[in-house]
Amino acid sequence: MSGSIFSIGVSGLNAAQAGLLTTSHNISNVATEGYTRQTVIQTNRDPQFTGSGFFGQGVEVDTVRRQYSQFLNSQVLSAQTQASYLDTYVAQAQQIDNLLADPSSGLSPALQGFFSGVQDVAANPSSVPSRQSMISLGQALVSRFQAIDARLSEIREGVNTEVGGIVSQINTLASQVSTLNRQIVNSGSTEAKPANDLLDQRDTLIADLNKLVKVSTVPQSDGSLNVFIGSGQSLVVGNTTFSLTSRRSTADAANVEIGYVVGGATVVLGEDSLQGGQLGGLLTFREQTLDPAANEFGRVATVLTQTFNAQHRLGQDIKGVLGGDFFSAPAAVVQSRTGSNGNTGSGVLTATLANVGQLTASDYSVTFTGGAYLVTRLSDDTQLPFATLPQTVDGVAIALASGTPANGDSFLIQPTRYAARDARVTIADTSLVAAAAPVRTAGALANLGTGKISAGVVSSVANLPLPGNVTFTYAQASNQFTVAGAAPAAGPFTYTAGSAISFNGLTVSFTGAPADGDTFTIVNNTAAVADNRNALLLGQLQTVPTVANGTASYQSAYSQLVSNVGNDTHEVQVQSTAQDSLVKQTREAQQSFSGVNLDEEAANLLRYQQAYQASGKVLQIASTLFDTVLQIGR
Amino acid sequence: MRVSTNTIFEQGIFNLQRVQSQLVKAQEQVATGRRALTPADDPVAAARILEVTQSKSINDQYARNADSATASIGLEENALTRYTALLQDIKTLAVGAGDGAQTPTDLKILGTELRGRYAELLGAANSTDGNGLFLFSGYQGTTQPFAESASGTVVYSGDQGQRLVQIGAARQIAVSDAGSDVFQRVRTGNGVFETTANAANVGTGIVGKGVVRDAAAWAAAGNPNNFEVRFSVDSTNVPPRTTYDIVDTVNNLSLTTGAAPAAGPYLRPYQDGATITVARRSPPDTNATAFDYGIDLAVTGAPASGDRFTLAPSTNEDIFATVNQLIQALETSAPGATGNTRLANSLNAAMNSIDNALDVGLSVVASVGARAKEIETSRTNSADLGLQYDTTLSGLRDLDYAKALSEISFNTVALQAAQKTFVQIQGLSLFNFM
Repeated sequence: MSGSIFSIGVSGLNAAQAGLLTTSHNISNVATEGYTRQTVIQTNRDPQFTGSGFFGQGVEVDTVRRQYSQFLNSQVLSAQTQASYLDTYVAQAQQIDNLLADPSSGLSPALQGFFSGVQDVAANPSSVPSRQSMISLGQALVSRFQAIDARLSEIREGVNTEVGGIVSQINTLASQVSTLNRQIVNSGSTEAKPANDLLDQRDTLIADLNKLVKVSTVPQSDGSLNVFIGSGQSLVVGNTTFSLTSRRSTADAANVEIGYVVGGATVVLGEDSLQGGQLGGLLTFREQTLDPAANEFGRVATVLTQTFNAQHRLGQDIKGVLGGDFFSAPAAVVQSRTGSNGNTGSGVLTATLANVGQLTASDYSVTFTGGAYLVTRLSDDTQLPFATLPQTVDGVAIALASGTPANGDSFLIQPTRYAARDARVTIADTSLVAAAAPVRTAGALANLGTGKISAGVVSSVANLPLPGNVTFTYAQASNQFTVAGAAPAAGPFTYTAGSAISFNGLTVSFTGAPADGDTFTIVNNTAAVADNRNALLLGQLQTVPTVANGTASYQSAYSQLVSNVGNDTHEVQVQSTAQDSLVKQTREAQQSFSGVNLDEEAANLLRYQQAYQASGKVLQIASTLFDTVLQIGR
Repeated sequence: MRVSTNTIFEQGIFNLQRVQSQLVKAQEQVATGRRALTPADDPVAAARILEVTQSKSINDQYARNADSATASIGLEENALTRYTALLQDIKTLAVGAGDGAQTPTDLKILGTELRGRYAELLGAANSTDGNGLFLFSGYQGTTQPFAESASGTVVYSGDQGQRLVQIGAARQIAVSDAGSDVFQRVRTGNGVFETTANAANVGTGIVGKGVVRDAAAWAAAGNPNNFEVRFSVDSTNVPPRTTYDIVDTVNNLSLTTGAAPAAGPYLRPYQDGATITVARRSPPDTNATAFDYGIDLAVTGAPASGDRFTLAPSTNEDIFATVNQLIQALETSAPGATGNTRLANSLNAAMNSIDNALDVGLSVVASVGARAKEIETSRTNSADLGLQYDTTLSGLRDLDYAKALSEISFNTVALQAAQKTFVQIQGLSLFNFM
């Protein structure tokens, strides 16, 4: 019997020791990231059958198990990947948010400054300092455009660099996961006797990976874990890893795209397929906030420079010459697809801005398939198929300049992206500011009626300067004006008081009661240094809705951009705060099950210590019993 | 619920950070005085702020424009006041010259004085602003508008443009008037038609400026508008009997007979100062066709046989030509009844034109005054509007300090409490009792 008592006592000692070991392990790992509390699983040994019934044989330590819940853990993972996605998005969006509406560094002060320069010229058209100040303020506006655009490009480059960094981190983590997979398989870990600490390490790696990009995992029967990203691309299979790569996009050289290397070839992973995590945050930010902001900002620059130029060209400078461009004309950018999947045809596409008022803030892709062109507006994926080019889409004229495209060739058209970067003031000479209108009107002194001619508006300079004086003569009998000297010839026009008479790009109107034979003339506006009519029209452009099909002024288009970015930022901030709470809650639930509680461990320490002491006492008694038997024999 | 030791830490720190970030934000709001620090804090307000700021800056610009318009229009008003005063002066001189008590020498002296006025008139018409730009040259600010091409002939080199200043979103106000409209577009005669004594007249008939009795009849189609009143004195009669005819000089018809003009005596008897109406008066007219050309005139004095007075539509004559003719009349006046009559007719014509010029001048002054008033009103409006924009901006942008400060003190209390309890809970451990 005493042998059995010994053996029971020893089993108790061993079990208590195992308990103490595990408790100490728990205590020492209380602050270890990803550590899961372990407990000793012990059972009572099979009993021994005797004539007197079953006698217990002591205790047996079955295994040490992690307090691990697949369900709680995956909840933490999915909350965490979304949280780091939102954190990254917020951090990036805040940069633009701060940039645009700063009262001193945004676009608004420069815009207002420039137009007050224009108004100054309108008030003092012959003043050289006023003209100089308008040019200088124009340059200030342009450099503000460039500075903000440069900052946006910097943010874009920042995204590119971060994407590259994250991709290499993902590759590193993936190879670490595969190493652990091998170790776990080699360690002989089984469902019944798991290699707890190796599993913890692997789970921590998966959690880290998950913060970078959303991954899904599938456990294998041998204990290894397969990891998938994107739309099911395997990243880790057993102890094999596949790698991601980042490279310049073949469609848009300004962006970095992510490729999946399989069998020596690289497949591009679409931005939509890489969701969650920091990578998803960066890509979504680029697509949904940065691109629209840069395009919208470029659109303000495009419309401003183009419409201002158009009005400036309708004017006349101080030397009596028709006005030229005040700003350099912005151009749309076309990129042909390059790289291994690049265009194979010789087609060269051009895009010109036919009507800046109709421009959207979107980029366009043109794909040549089946002998037809498919134009896609990328902001909303509207597809417009065309059998031939040229075509005009949203104010952008797309034409095939030379060559022929091959089937599948693709082009990216960015109508406004680089307008702010490329804006310049082309005028340096103050005399070239076209403040005057190119023609003026007069009623003859000999006129006997009360008829008056309006100052005249110029809508096209195609027929200017006038080859000679244009004379309107009123004939009372027919109530008409005959026109002499107009080239191309015009008129006669029936007289209606106040109604516009338009010809050859000029518009005048008559009022009052002209007498028979009264004459009115339109002449070239020579020596008109004090004429400010064109400057007034230029000044009015500030509030005229010229952007987005005549729905917004420059300032309101910009305000809309600020508001859009603000809304985006606000939205992700709110989501991010909510997501942080969610992470906190899921972590709490997970920790509540798997985390170490020191008080609990302290209690366990006491419990196992007492159990150890008690088992020791059992051994002592067994020994005493044995001595008793020996003394009988003496 | 089982709580892990990590959770106690994490939760404590999470709460501390949350309160701290609220504190930092409130502190930043107080430091900047702005409610929304970035557009994300209030996207709608951020966009509104930008737009209201632009409206405010445009409004300020209109106020500055109004200042500059006031300056320009003030200069024009001065020049015009000087001009109308000069016209009054000239008129007084002309009245003095016609009082009949002046000898040809006196008249020559008056003529010389008028030459001085003439030069002053030219000076007023060529007034410049502070920047050396001519006020009355239209768009051509650096072109001198009025210059003498020959003695007494003034040529206008400006144009008919009006300089405009933007003083409101939809209001451009003219701050100049073309010299041609002020100094040149002056009607002769009574503004509708002009009466002139023939230079060869030898009688003492002085023609009045006439009146328009029926404007529609005068303006009607078929009205030749050009007539001559011809006098004939039948000296065989005792006392001599003076008669007159009205001739349509366009069609060369006697209106009284309806036939080609003949020599006197004529059908209508002349009476000193009586109305000569250009309409059929039958009898004595024998013209079978009724006519009424809508105007009347009167001749005073004793016209001689063969004296003629022409009636023609008014034309535009510049004030310099008028004054020059006045000077010529004074300087070339001859003694005697015929000479006096000619002088009187010339003075009448000149004074009619000067009156008309005064009317034109004063109406421009009135229009300038009205514009000055409008600019002033617009400036007041701008100031009011500016105040409203400030209020709107303040509402959109400014911080409610009371709210922000109470939030800060509330958060401070909350943070202190959180810190204290965190430390207390951390102190609780079973190991303390082992």
